[in-house]
Amino acid sequence: MAAKPGARFVSGGTALQLDWARGEERPARLVDLGGIAALRGVSLDGGRLRIGALTSLAALLRDPQVGAGLPLLHAALQTTAGPAVRTLATIGGNVAGGTGCLIPALLALDATAVVATEEGQTVLPLASWLRRDRASPQLLEALLVPVQSAEARWTWRKVGLRAAFTPGVISAAGLLDIRDERVASARLAVGSGVVAPARLSGAEAMLAGAPLGSIDWTALHALLVIEIAASDDSFRSGRYRRIVAANALVHGLGGRPPGRFAAHNRQHSLTDVAAPDEVLLMRDSAGERWHVRPDGPGKIAGRLEYLTDRREAGMLVGRIKRAGMPHARIVSIDTAAAEALPGVAAVVTHRDIAGQNAFGIVVQDQPAFCFDKVRHRGDAVAAVAAVDAETAARALDLIEVVYEPLPLVEDPEAALAEDAPRVHDGGNLRTELGLTHGDVEAGFGAAAHIVEDVYVTPRQMHGFMETEGGHARVEPDGTLFVAAGGQHGGRDRMQLARILGRPEETIRVVTSPTGGAFGGKDELTVQPALALLALKSGKPVRLQLDRAESVLAGQKRNPMTIRMRTGCDAEGRLVAQEVEVLADAGAYASLGPGVLETALEHACGPYLVENVRTRGRLAYTNNGVCGAFRGFGANQMTYAVECQLDRLAVAAGLHPFAIRALNLRRPGMKGYLGQTVSGSERLDEMLAAAMADPLWTKPRGLSQDGSEILGTGWALAYQGNGLGTLPPDPAGGALRLAPDGAIEALYGLDEMGQGLLASIQGAVAQALGCARADVRPVTGDTGAAPDSGSTTASRGTYVVWRVAETTAKPLAQALCTAAGRLLGREAASLVVVPGGIAERGSNSGDLAISFADLARALPADELPFAATSFEFPKSDVFTGNARLIFAFGATLARVAVSRITGQLRVLDLNQHTAAGPMLDLAAYLGQLEGGGVQALGFTLTEDALMREGGHLAANLDGYMLPSIGDAPLAMASFALEDLDPGDPFGPRGTGELGLAAVSPAIANAVADATGHWPAMAPLDPEWMLDRLGGAA
Amino acid sequence: MSGLDGIAVSFRLNGEERSLMAAADRRLIDVLRDDMVLTGAKEGCGVGRCGACTVLLDGEPANACLLMLWQFEGRDVVTPEGLDAETDAAILREALAAENAFQCGYCAPGFVMALLSLLRRNPDANEADIRAGLEGNICRCTGYHSILRGARAAAEALRPARAGDHP
Repeated sequence: MAAKPGARFVSGGTALQLDWARGEERPARLVDLGGIAALRGVSLDGGRLRIGALTSLAALLRDPQVGAGLPLLHAALQTTAGPAVRTLATIGGNVAGGTGCLIPALLALDATAVVATEEGQTVLPLASWLRRDRASPQLLEALLVPVQSAEARWTWRKVGLRAAFTPGVISAAGLLDIRDERVASARLAVGSGVVAPARLSGAEAMLAGAPLGSIDWTALHALLVIEIAASDDSFRSGRYRRIVAANALVHGLGGRPPGRFAAHNRQHSLTDVAAPDEVLLMRDSAGERWHVRPDGPGKIAGRLEYLTDRREAGMLVGRIKRAGMPHARIVSIDTAAAEALPGVAAVVTHRDIAGQNAFGIVVQDQPAFCFDKVRHRGDAVAAVAAVDAETAARALDLIEVVYEPLPLVEDPEAALAEDAPRVHDGGNLRTELGLTHGDVEAGFGAAAHIVEDVYVTPRQMHGFMETEGGHARVEPDGTLFVAAGGQHGGRDRMQLARILGRPEETIRVVTSPTGGAFGGKDELTVQPALALLALKSGKPVRLQLDRAESVLAGQKRNPMTIRMRTGCDAEGRLVAQEVEVLADAGAYASLGPGVLETALEHACGPYLVENVRTRGRLAYTNNGVCGAFRGFGANQMTYAVECQLDRLAVAAGLHPFAIRALNLRRPGMKGYLGQTVSGSERLDEMLAAAMADPLWTKPRGLSQDGSEILGTGWALAYQGNGLGTLPPDPAGGALRLAPDGAIEALYGLDEMGQGLLASIQGAVAQALGCARADVRPVTGDTGAAPDSGSTTASRGTYVVWRVAETTAKPLAQALCTAAGRLLGREAASLVVVPGGIAERGSNSGDLAISFADLARALPADELPFAATSFEFPKSDVFTGNARLIFAFGATLARVAVSRITGQLRVLDLNQHTAAGPMLDLAAYLGQLEGGGVQALGFTLTEDALMREGGHLAANLDGYMLPSIGDAPLAMASFALEDLDPGDPFGPRGTGELGLAAVSPAIANAVADATGHWPAMAPLDPEWMLDRLGGAA
Repeated sequence: MSGLDGIAVSFRLNGEERSLMAAADRRLIDVLRDDMVLTGAKEGCGVGRCGACTVLLDGEPANACLLMLWQFEGRDVVTPEGLDAETDAAILREALAAENAFQCGYCAPGFVMALLSLLRRNPDANEADIRAGLEGNICRCTGYHSILRGARAAAEALRPARAGDHP
């Protein structure tokens, strides 16, 4: 090994991809240790377990000797990686790197290392080996770990960034050998990630010999905080690490949690509230309303082909060259070397763009390929198509771009300074909005109580599991075919046509199925590169971003700072509301202006406030790109509004229910922007549902072991549907009898997972009278279905329903007429039933003719067809993007706040919703549960932190999507389906409703538990700990 | 992008002996998806953190994005495609589908792998066991509860099926 520099020992190899992604040089040689069987396995060796260094973590976790003899190590293993990684990862690999999470456990267990060196085998304490000179090659053979005595008192805690499979913030292990009610010896250790593994000898000395009953835990805690060495990183401070490790050790070894606990739980009156007549959403009680989604089995078997799964002989592989610089002028782009590389079929840059080199749903400020400057690190500069991925990657490296760096704009506030460097020539203020009504100063002057805070919300990542990608080709007839996950094929086609300078009719865009979108595939992603590469190479091309590139180049939620000042009079009536929003647009606008508008449209929630002043600004920066994300600004604003209401309730001595009831808008009133709004308002009902929720009877206050404080909170949800009044919002769809007898439902909408196909089947079957199985949805293909508008803004449900309602009658008529002609009967005597056409009024169950027979009997051009197109319903006010249709909800959360770590667990999440009749119960439920946990991530763990225009978490090892361990222990979802008589709008969308009020419900629950409202999402556990007084 | 030499390996893939020659650090996920057009396993992160690419390696769940060619010499690899003939996998898939456990579905094949290996090892897995067994799999759509319900139903359905196997 010494003779082979550039070689590396490898066992499980689970860290290699991460190391290489971080830029570590790939070794010229990997020395595989996996074949050395002697290094694997666990055996009892005297009073010690000998653990071979190559024993996998999964094998250790299952080993009965480890389970019985080393419970501390067993506990540590459970918190290390996930099951599939543990199959490969070895204990030697975890330990030898020096940063593994198991090290503190092994140090506390007094493990010894058996090491092979060039001089022979040596045995030395693990702590000594960890301090070894790393220049000389050494091979860890085994660990010798003394079996824990049954009397030993031990503790293990890994503090991470989320509940499971998390990077370690700090891990703490402690073990006290007890003899005669005294601590015979103590071993305490910390480690994980940036915390260097270390024994804590000062604290150990303090404990040694102490009688168990009289350990001075307070002094021990103070000493631990001083003794533990831990540094800051981008995610947690060194101070936080020291404190939580001290808390964990003290609490885990028998001391009391730090700080004082004072009950803050407020009383909730539950008397005499009649719950509205909601449906509890679950399969067991749904009966015939529960349908298996048509795409479920194929997806679960891995059989369904996503657009990124296409593989064909001769298909090229595309890659995109990213700027890598956050802000720079392009001096030159030289692609000659890349083009000359054998195997490269095409290289494209801005020079290949025949049309307008700019796109954007609202403002076309984003170049398909940069030409004069780059505005964020993920900006596209060029793309290549090559015979395989390796060649494409090599070609990217050969493209030479010379840049002249420009000053970085990374703070939205600083971006708006007079002399700030400009991201775009027109200045950095992309959008400024505002509204004033009434006299705000007078309002606050008359207020008895005023609450003000600054709410900060995260740069949340969509985190769809299928990253952006797809394939493209030029068809024999010259049509350009582009298939890439999207949310509005018609608009993608329009934008592509504009970039390529070719008529829309010559382009076919396929956008479904997509492996998740959540707004992040609403704007163009890889389509321009795919299209240009296919056109230039003349060959089919596939291209998919890997996760790191998706993090770098993909859109995120616009981070917002919301300053909100709210006043009420002595009775609790709202008298003034002042809101100021500053949002980060990133480098390009995309739908950011609409997000800001929507946020401000929800600035007073569903409450009546006489005097209002709002101001919103959206600033360009070099912080990646932001745009549409489920909730679209409304959830951020609802977070602030619903916390303010709870805080004012405390100030005014009112119950949180009472202050809302007092200020709630009444059905039939004009909307916040003075617009007419749809009927079927159900805010009173949602209020009653929240009051009557069984969650209020569940325990709150101190947990049994004293380590957590439990609280319950809630918030109202009020979510606009549709794009609003400003943008054109055309919709439509069609039904037809297909040649094979299927009732085809043609919609230019996209199946992104939300259950579109099931909803279409449900709506069409109900409107037409056929069976769900008769209905074949045809979606997400501009070549096969009419434009229905975008699958965003909770608008799809309405479009599905309206098209079905409008076209079912003419289609049924055409079907019956055709059948009547064939059968020699009056059309009026026939009716559509499951499977075909039957005699009206007959209960024989017989079909007069099946759909299949009818279709076979008809010439292709006489197959019944009915289409409709319409504008998505809009309000009558054309300022501020006022919405017409709203959906309603109430969300309750019960949380446990850890006094050890300041972190939260969501125990219960109950969601009450009123969004009209459900097209598909399971899809509706899925939107609520999925939206709920996405919002939980927003509230607790998710933020794509950036520094110098770069992402601090480059992949899913650092960006904390909620894991299954973070999901609430219990969830319950409810739907109130009724509409006012004559309501013309049918089912409302729930795509955003499930996410609308989760953050304030959690924040209000935290306040219920602790008396403090977190005004930052994601919650900062250090802030929480400080509030609890546990950080002293 | 390999810095390593090509090597020849032989392994079992979905019950069939396969041999191939490629760079030693070529990842199993690329071998499956690009070389063999077995696209049931998906790539979600490429660093072992999402579980979308989970396969069975000698019967245990493992991330195909972390496995490199030199690591699967002589091993038994089963991909989602390889489960089609397995009775217990069919029961598990059926239970998950009946519960509408997944939405976009991109994570689903990986979850099936993790659940199958869990329920084979521990047919009496309770909710806590199931949660622990799925800690390496990320789903962005569902909030996990539909998956938990499907997994519990699958465990129920598999118990009598197993009992039937061994009367």
